[in-house]
Amino acid sequence: MRVGFIGLGVMGRPMALHLHKAGHELAVWARRPDSVGDLPAQVCATPAELGRCCEVVFTVITSSADVEGVALGADGLIEGMVPGSVLVDCSTIAPEAARKIAARLGQKGIHMLDAPVSGGAQGAIDATLAIMAGGEAEVLDRVRPLLDCLGKRIVHVGPNGAGQVAKACNQMIMVAAIQAAAEAMRLAAAAGVDCAKVRQALSGGSAASRVLDVMGERMVRRDFAAGIEARLHHKDFGLVIEAARQSGVPVPLAAVVGQQLNALMAQGWGRDDTSSLLRVLELQ
Amino acid sequence: MKIGFIGLGIMGRPMALNLLKGGHDLTVWARRAESMQPLLDAGARGAGSPAEAARGNELVISMVADAPDVAEVMRGVAAGAAPGLVAVDMSTIAPAAARKIGEELAAAGVDFIDAPVSGGEVGAIAGTLSIMAGGSDAAFAKARPAFECMGKNIVHVGASGAGQVAKAANQIVTGMGVLAVAEAFAFSAKNGVDRSKVREALLGGFAYSKILENHGQRMLDRNFKPGFKSWMHEKDLNIVMQTAHELGLCLPGSAATAQMFNAMVGSGHGEEDSIAVLKLLESLSGQA
Repeated sequence: MRVGFIGLGVMGRPMALHLHKAGHELAVWARRPDSVGDLPAQVCATPAELGRCCEVVFTVITSSADVEGVALGADGLIEGMVPGSVLVDCSTIAPEAARKIAARLGQKGIHMLDAPVSGGAQGAIDATLAIMAGGEAEVLDRVRPLLDCLGKRIVHVGPNGAGQVAKACNQMIMVAAIQAAAEAMRLAAAAGVDCAKVRQALSGGSAASRVLDVMGERMVRRDFAAGIEARLHHKDFGLVIEAARQSGVPVPLAAVVGQQLNALMAQGWGRDDTSSLLRVLELQ
Repeated sequence: MKIGFIGLGIMGRPMALNLLKGGHDLTVWARRAESMQPLLDAGARGAGSPAEAARGNELVISMVADAPDVAEVMRGVAAGAAPGLVAVDMSTIAPAAARKIGEELAAAGVDFIDAPVSGGEVGAIAGTLSIMAGGSDAAFAKARPAFECMGKNIVHVGASGAGQVAKAANQIVTGMGVLAVAEAFAFSAKNGVDRSKVREALLGGFAYSKILENHGQRMLDRNFKPGFKSWMHEKDLNIVMQTAHELGLCLPGSAATAQMFNAMVGSGHGEEDSIAVLKLLESLSGQA
């Protein structure tokens, strides 16, 4: 199948490569054409041109506004994609934005899935991403063979927007867990106890978690180079707080964690790993 | 002075009436024609559009709900503006939104002031609002006589957007202040102590505040009728939190407070006064 791909960053690039390895023919569009590099793909001049030649198009880009621009803007996908084709948006954006884009594409008979992913750069490289999909079940079934190239756990959460709601929930839990791990590491260090030992001890018990494993390890090694850039979690927390507000649901813990992320950004650590939340605690 | 006034809601109507009382020549416009009637009865002229409310006037004032509304009416104002018009928005919107509207109006040759207010409906009726203004010295000087009909404490805070920054700061202090008084009262009651006595004692010390005095009394009276509706306070705190997010600013107290207001709106207290946060605390602690 000819598959379009937009967004060749730290997540998108390995995902695109998996599709290529599985025998699909890639077409790409990139804001900065040099980001295509040695990727074996046909390079298109605009998203519209990409849309015209592909049955399925993936987008993995940063913000609601970016996805809207690429999908609905001038020379956007909507101007090229044919009725019956599918946009699979793996970006993390506002549920409301996902619903709006799906509705606009739907008017032209173009299907859309919101299909944000979790698992980070390593999950993208290992093709072990968790994929949370929102949209019609039949559409998901059609593209499932492609998603199987990218991830292990593919869940149809509900209609359009539901995938993004699941992703917001994922981010709330994950970053709160990073904050909890950071506070535990900080407390251990302040009490003169070896952080590495504490982490090791906790990994066998009820507090064991993937975050404590992966991010806790980074905190112990004080390796703050990005697995996941903290600025992306900061962006996602804006979405979480807004979604909570629109539903009139209090999220007191997420709100406080969001403020720690604001402090992290103020320190200029946005391009470092989110385990830098430990360093925010060390400021005090 | 010839003044246009746009937006005649719970705040705008008494503010416009005070301008008439101050002897100004007033043209009014409101989205719902019936809300114009009290002003027409008091001697104002009615306009058919924001552009018409601006036409031939030296000053135009808007008092509407939210940033998109301000942007929309100000586009109309720009279309009807004579050279040298000063446009004043007294709504509460994000500082960044105010700056952007100021830039757009400047391009149309209109000088813009953001001048949000504090003091609620009571202050609007009494003409005792606090007015915090952002914009040029010249525009502020021109608008000042109008401000003096509507408010008492009138401060030119700084350049465009500075008035909204001050208002957001005001909402941080009032939001946390109302929550602080409500928590102090919940604390007293759970300890079996008469909260009216606690209030009385605190009024003499460092915990004295207008909020303890006024909002505190209304909490004691369990009078939840809005002075200031909690959904509007929630909206303003959201401006604070969004601005903090954009700037990389850590505001843990405001964040916790904003979530209490979020819960209040979500649980159906949005149309009540902000002091309904007391009810939320009471139900969380089984004091209902």
